[in-house]
Amino acid sequence: MNIGRLAIKNLGRNKLRTVLTIWAVSVAILAFIALRTILSAWTVAADFAAKDRVGTRHKVSFIMQMPGRYLQEIREIPGVKAAAGANWFGAKLAGKEDEFFANFAVDPKAYLAVYDEVVVPEDQRQAWFGNKTGAVVGDALAKKQGWKVGDRVTLVGTIFPGDWTFEISGIYTAVRKSFDRSSFLFHYDYLNDSPIGRQIVNDQVGWIVSRIDDPGRAAQISKAIDDHFDERDVQTLSMSERAMNTSFIGMISAVLKAVDIVSIVILLIMVLILGNTVAMGVRERTHEYGVLRAIGFLPKHLGAFVLGESVAVSAIGGVVGVVASYVIVEQGIGRFLEENMGGFFPFFRIAPATVLWALILACVLGLVAAALPAYNAAKLKVVDSLRQVG
Amino acid sequence: MSTATAEVQREAPAGARPAVVEAAKVSKTYLRGKEQVQVLQNLDLVIHEGAFEALMGPSGSGKSTLLNLIAGLDRPTSGTIRVAGSNVGELAERQRAKWRAANVGFIFQTYNMMPVLTALENVELPLLLTSLSSKERRERAQTALDVVGLKDRMQHYPRELSGGQEQRVAIARAIVTDPKLIVADEPTGDLDRKSADDILKLLVRLNSEFNKTIIMVTHDPAAAECAKKIHHLDKGALDKGAHS
Repeated sequence: MNIGRLAIKNLGRNKLRTVLTIWAVSVAILAFIALRTILSAWTVAADFAAKDRVGTRHKVSFIMQMPGRYLQEIREIPGVKAAAGANWFGAKLAGKEDEFFANFAVDPKAYLAVYDEVVVPEDQRQAWFGNKTGAVVGDALAKKQGWKVGDRVTLVGTIFPGDWTFEISGIYTAVRKSFDRSSFLFHYDYLNDSPIGRQIVNDQVGWIVSRIDDPGRAAQISKAIDDHFDERDVQTLSMSERAMNTSFIGMISAVLKAVDIVSIVILLIMVLILGNTVAMGVRERTHEYGVLRAIGFLPKHLGAFVLGESVAVSAIGGVVGVVASYVIVEQGIGRFLEENMGGFFPFFRIAPATVLWALILACVLGLVAAALPAYNAAKLKVVDSLRQVG
Repeated sequence: MSTATAEVQREAPAGARPAVVEAAKVSKTYLRGKEQVQVLQNLDLVIHEGAFEALMGPSGSGKSTLLNLIAGLDRPTSGTIRVAGSNVGELAERQRAKWRAANVGFIFQTYNMMPVLTALENVELPLLLTSLSSKERRERAQTALDVVGLKDRMQHYPRELSGGQEQRVAIARAIVTDPKLIVADEPTGDLDRKSADDILKLLVRLNSEFNKTIIMVTHDPAAAECAKKIHHLDKGALDKGAHS
C-alpha cells in the first residue's frame, strides 16, 4: 500500500455516491464533447475547404442568379483553371417531404473537374455524362434511401413544380471531410431545357465555383473576377471557398457562440457537483482526518488525499464520458446527422483534440473542485477533529 | 501547585530510569466563546520510562487535555512539557507531526480504523510516513498483528471484526512504529468486560514484555487497576489525596 493507493481505496468508501458522482462527471463530459463536436462540425466546411477554389455569386444575394455566359468568361480570367456552375433545385422525395438533402443541377464534367474530391467510379461517371436524366448521389444518401445504381427516383419540385424522374447513374464518395455525402447531383440541361426551367433558369446559373492555379492568389483572382463584371448589369461577389463557408457560418455565429458558452457552463456545473461531493466527504471524515494527523500525517497529506480522490473521480468520469461520447455522439447522433443533415453536418466526428481537452479539463476541474475542501482538510486542528463524532 | 499523585506502587523505584514525560507548571486555557476556561492549572508531572500510568477523574477534569499535551496533539498555554527528550510545546506544527509519528502510539476509545483498509493495511498506515520499503512495512505490520494475536485476521476489514478485535488492531497500529510512548484514551470504553480484560492484558504485556511506557485515560476502575500508578485529576489539577 502507498499514499496514492490509500486515496484510491477511499473511493470505495461510499460506492453509490462515487458511482453517481462519476456518472455526473461523465454526463457533463459527454455533453461537453457533443457541443464541441457540433461546433467543429459546423466549422468543418470552412476548416477543410479547398484552398484552390473561388466561389462567385450574385453581388446582391446568393438566391439571385447570374447569366450563364459568365461561366465561360470566368474560365478565361487568368489564374482560373476550370469553373463549374450550379443551380439549387430544392426538391423533395415524394412521400418523404420532411427529409432534407441537398439537390442541385450541374454540368457533370465541369463540376467533377472542379470538385476532384468527389469520387465516382469511371463506368458510373461515363454513364452519368451520357444520360441527361441521370443523377449521382452521395453514398450516405444512397445508403439511407436504399438506392442502387439503375434505380429510378422521382423528386417533387418545390421551386420547380412537378414530378422529376431521374435514373441513379452513380454513387459518389468524398475524400474531403467538408463535402456533403448526402447530395443529389443531376444534369443542368435536364433542368434548363424543361418548360419550367426555361421560365425560371433560362440559361442562368445560381453560383459558379472556379478552380485556380495558385491558392495564394485566391484574393487577387476573386477581385479580378468581380472587376471583370463590375460594369455589367449583374455584378458578382467572389471569395475563396473558405471565406464563403466562413461567411455562411457567420450568419449563425450567435448560435455557435451560445453553444460555446453552454459547453463551458456545463463544466462549471460539473465543478459544483464534484466540489459539493468532495466537501461532503471531508465533513464526514473530519474525525478520521484527526486520527491521521495524530499518527503523524501532515496537512499536505490530507490535502493530497482529498485532491487525489477528486481527480481520480473526475478522471474516471472523464474516461467514461469519452467512451460514451464515441458510442452516443459519434456512432449514434453523428451517423444520423451525416445521413440526414449532411448539408449542415457533412462530417460529424469527435476531434481527437476535443477528447484530449475533455480529459485534461476533467482532471484540472477535479483539482479545482477539491481545492477548497482540501484546504479545509489541511487546516483542521487535530484536537478539534478528534472531538468531532461522525 | 505541587505534583500530587495517588499512587499504587507496583513497580521498582523510578529513580534509576530516565523520565519520558516531564511536565512543569503546565496550564491550559481554552476560549469558549468569549469566556476563558482553565482546563489545567500549573500541573507538574513526571513519568519514567517503562511506566504504565492511569489518569482518572470526572468528566471535564482535564484528563484528555493532559493526554493531548503529552502526546503532542496540543500546546500548553504556559509551562513546559518535555516528552521523549523534546520540548513538545515549542515544536512547530510540522515538527510535532513528525515527532508524534516517531515517538507516540495512539489508542482511541472508538478504535478509529479506516473502513476501506484491511487490518494489515490499517496497521501499516503509520509506516507510510517512514522510508521503509513496502516489503519491510508489510513485515512489520504482520509482526505487530502477531503480537496482538490477530495474524489470522490480517486481510479482514474492520466491519468484519468484533470491537475487541478492532481495538487490538488499533493497538497493533500504535506499536508498529515501535514508539517510546503509548497514549490510550479510554481504550476499553466501548468494549464489554471480557473484551476489555483482553485489551488490558495486552497493554500490561506491552508494558512488561516490550517495556512500552503507557499513559492511559480511563473512567474504568478495573482498567486503572492494571496500571502501576494512578493519577487522579480534578478541576485541572492532580489530586493529592486520591487513591485508586
